Amino acid sequence: MRLVGSAITIAVAILGFAAIAQQTGSGTNQPPAQSPPPTPAANGSQPQVDESALRYFASQGDTRRVNAEIARLRALYPNWTPPSDLSQLSGGAAAAAPDPLIERLWNLYREDRIAEVRAAIAERQTSDPNWKAPEELVAALETVEARRRLTNASDTGQWRTVLQVATEAPSLLTCVNVDVLWRVAEAFARTDQPNRTRDVYTYLLQNCANPGERLATLQKALTLLPEQQVTALLQFERKTGESPDDFSSIRDELARRRVERASLDSKMTASAEDLTVVERLIQNTNESGPVLILGWYNYHHGNPARALELFKTALDRNAGAKAAEGYAMSLRALERISEAEAFAYEWRERAPENMKIYLDVATALLSQDPPPRLEPQVLTRIVPVVTAQRFSDAAQALGWYSYNTQQIRTARDWFRTALSWKADDEASAYGLALTTQRLNDRAGFNAVVAQWRSRSQRIADLADGINPPSGRQPAATPPIAAQAPMAQAVESTPLPVQPRLVPRQATVEQVETEQTFSRTEDNVRRRQTQARSALGRSCAMTRNPAGLSGDSALTRGWCLMEINRPMEAVAAFDQAIATGSSRTREEAAYGKSLAYLRKNLTSEAAIAAAEAPQTRERRVELGASILTQRALAAYRDGRYVETLLALSERARIVPEQNDLLLIRGWSYLKLGRYGDAEKVFRAVQQTGYSEEAAAGLNAIREVTGQMRY
Amino acid sequence: MRSQIPRPVQTLIWLFAAFFLMTSMASSQSLSVQPLNLLGSIPPADWEAYRSRFVEDNGRVVDTANGNISHSEGQGYGLLLALAAADRRSFEQIWNFTFTELLIRDDGLAAWKWDPAGKPRVTDRNNATDGDLLIAYALAKAGAAWQEPRYTTAAQKLAKAIGKSTFSRSGRSLVLLPGAHGFGAGDRPDGPVVNLSYWVFETFPVLAALAPEYEWNRVWRDGVMLLQQATSGRIRLPADWLSLQNGLQPQPADGFPPEFGYNSLRIPLYLLRAGMTDMEWLRALKQRWSAENEGVAVVNVMTGQVREQLTDQGYAILPAALACALDGTPVPEPLKTFEPSLYYPSTLYLLAKSLLGEKYPQCV
Repeated sequence: MRLVGSAITIAVAILGFAAIAQQTGSGTNQPPAQSPPPTPAANGSQPQVDESALRYFASQGDTRRVNAEIARLRALYPNWTPPSDLSQLSGGAAAAAPDPLIERLWNLYREDRIAEVRAAIAERQTSDPNWKAPEELVAALETVEARRRLTNASDTGQWRTVLQVATEAPSLLTCVNVDVLWRVAEAFARTDQPNRTRDVYTYLLQNCANPGERLATLQKALTLLPEQQVTALLQFERKTGESPDDFSSIRDELARRRVERASLDSKMTASAEDLTVVERLIQNTNESGPVLILGWYNYHHGNPARALELFKTALDRNAGAKAAEGYAMSLRALERISEAEAFAYEWRERAPENMKIYLDVATALLSQDPPPRLEPQVLTRIVPVVTAQRFSDAAQALGWYSYNTQQIRTARDWFRTALSWKADDEASAYGLALTTQRLNDRAGFNAVVAQWRSRSQRIADLADGINPPSGRQPAATPPIAAQAPMAQAVESTPLPVQPRLVPRQATVEQVETEQTFSRTEDNVRRRQTQARSALGRSCAMTRNPAGLSGDSALTRGWCLMEINRPMEAVAAFDQAIATGSSRTREEAAYGKSLAYLRKNLTSEAAIAAAEAPQTRERRVELGASILTQRALAAYRDGRYVETLLALSERARIVPEQNDLLLIRGWSYLKLGRYGDAEKVFRAVQQTGYSEEAAAGLNAIREVTGQMRY
Repeated sequence: MRSQIPRPVQTLIWLFAAFFLMTSMASSQSLSVQPLNLLGSIPPADWEAYRSRFVEDNGRVVDTANGNISHSEGQGYGLLLALAAADRRSFEQIWNFTFTELLIRDDGLAAWKWDPAGKPRVTDRNNATDGDLLIAYALAKAGAAWQEPRYTTAAQKLAKAIGKSTFSRSGRSLVLLPGAHGFGAGDRPDGPVVNLSYWVFETFPVLAALAPEYEWNRVWRDGVMLLQQATSGRIRLPADWLSLQNGLQPQPADGFPPEFGYNSLRIPLYLLRAGMTDMEWLRALKQRWSAENEGVAVVNVMTGQVREQLTDQGYAILPAALACALDGTPVPEPLKTFEPSLYYPSTLYLLAKSLLGEKYPQCV
């Protein structure tokens, strides 16, 4: 091992010192060991090769084996050159006859059969007590044994053994055994001596030449050392020479980490360079990690629009629940609450964070000011989630929403529920006081007052008749401000389907008949035909509707509907909504909804329907159509629970037709609710739709028959 | 079952005395307390039959009945048998594997379990104290026999580690924990838990000389006392794993079958090898193990029910050795020729044969 140069000796000194210091328990208090002097690259590019066998054969004057060993080492290390002092070695021992056992031992050694070498030495010593194995061989064996013990100890987390072996076998600590150096470095880190870890890496970067191992050294440093120390190690990057380093991936990783840290802390900003690095990582890979980081960075640094884009990208890259959380939060930050609610709903089951953002968004949606016009199915899906999660904020928000939409009993039930989930919720208690008062529920009112008057001034005021609530408005400022009466919403919004909580609230708008629907369908058909004949071919030509008058745009919209180009019709209806009279606006909004429905864009249809006040007839018709589409879409996708929810919502507004009843029956069947399915199919069968219904009944028999079997 | 008259107090006093007399030549009236010489007590052919089956070229002793794993106990037995066979070559080989693969723990004890299919191959880094005792003992004996300081040094290190990490106070006793972790009073609700077959009695005086700062003779003595307590019940057999939570009376430990099993059947062999032939319990056991009774078996220590008869040569030689040591009965002919089967009974066979060859040549 004479070949290893001064750098090794120094490294050994560092390691030995450090290891001993560690064992005596004073390691961390020691001043950092001296850095080894910078080593010329030429030294480092020379691989350190185990020449012990070679030197032994040379000392024995065994030229044939010397040559064979040189050939073997050259094959292993192409850049290696044989030491020049071999000829000097051969002089002294040349007289002694070569010992055949020694050659056998070296052969076993080369084959890594160490136990057998040891065994043969012991055997020989038994027969010849004066015989001694060559020193080179013994040293070589000890080194291999030390390496094995060190490796095994490191594999089983026995870090003190690692350091002890390294201290006792400093010959291991060379660039030939980079793996050993890494393990020693890790042992220092695992025994809380990061400075020693850094010393080992420094030694390695100053002395060892293999670029792959050098890069791997920094990668290991990234996992074990503080970033400052990793950054300091970057100075050893070799930019010139035969095989220069490329540590850019390490720099990128450090930049990525800095941005990551800043991404969750709005008070911390990342440098433009670091942000550029992360942007580049996003461009150059398909990974979602950097996208998420930049998404959160933008979210927490006042740029939700960009965050939204990034989370969308992350979703496309299958980042899953975390990306969905960010996406929903960005939508909320952009005040696109109803989109956020619809989106978050789909993801709510994926992780607790997703459930939380859904509940938050739903609460925000209910609490908007002025209270929004909510689609029935939105409420229907919020309620069971809130109930299952016992989320009191949302329960309270449902209370105020119901209150502001004149559903006072429902409101009372929600406030009561919110209080049962969160007993110290003053706002809900206030809501309960207001609603019980409005309902003349004296017992209820007295109970809440008794419990709260000492804790809530406004509840006490209510009881004392100060500032009595003025009809429809809550007197104080609950989490939602509901200043305006919500006539539109009141009439068209059915109450949450929650039998336990709203037993009497199936009261809204159940007077429509199927006739209404078909009559308006007839109207539409007539309107479209009229428009088509008025405009003739010209409506088929693509044309920007901007500039058309309200009425022309409306006619054009209907005409486009007639030739089944609904998206262009939407543009025409938009123009009509923008420029037309109130009557035109109403009809255009209606047309736009129908156009979206034709494209199966139910939520857009719902939004369009809200763009202009509609007659009750049309509202019912649109609501029913939207729900029909929802039910069918859900059924197509195999989401049977949602199918049933949509159908039930729809059945609340208009009677269920036979074809939808069949869908209902099949949904029950798919969900294993065979009794319900059978009832539905029998009902349909009695009205004459017998063939389809019979198929359903047969399917039930088949399934239940199989189950009994 | 015949009723026996226990003589614990009397025996205890004798044993106590025996230990202190052990190093003194004055104890010549009792040949049994002289330590074993070991070297050359196993015929080369028997050892070769064992070695070629259970020892790999890299020095690994393979437990052929347990998925070809290795353990510190097996390495210890391998070393001991190689020494008894005066096979220095194999001893060195087995030691090399033991040293590089198992002696890697920070506390200086040997990791107990090594699996060729594992990654890392040490699949349980905890130690097994009987394995440590056997390795240290074999090294100490070999170091002395072959004048090899490497062995003696390693034996001493290991002896100190055993004393430091596995001796544990339990009430007024000092006991040997089966492993440095997981068996103490704080480690499990019914702790401390011990295994009486981990007291390899012959090792104690030898290791005491190497690590005199630890109370070897007290652990040895308290082990004998525990054995007497654990064999004082109706069935007169100790369970392999005993809870000492109730200081006065050892109980079968939770989570182990309440059985006198593969572990405990080594206890009489260890007693004989240590020359502790005067223990009354050995006579009771000889009776139970005799051909007229149930023979060597895995027995439920609560009910006395036999779960499994053990008929392999390696188990059958145990009652034969007892009969020889206690009554001078010659070993039956069929047991005189070694027929190796699986690792464990083959090991017991050679340990017994080594004892008989050295101490009771008249029986074989």
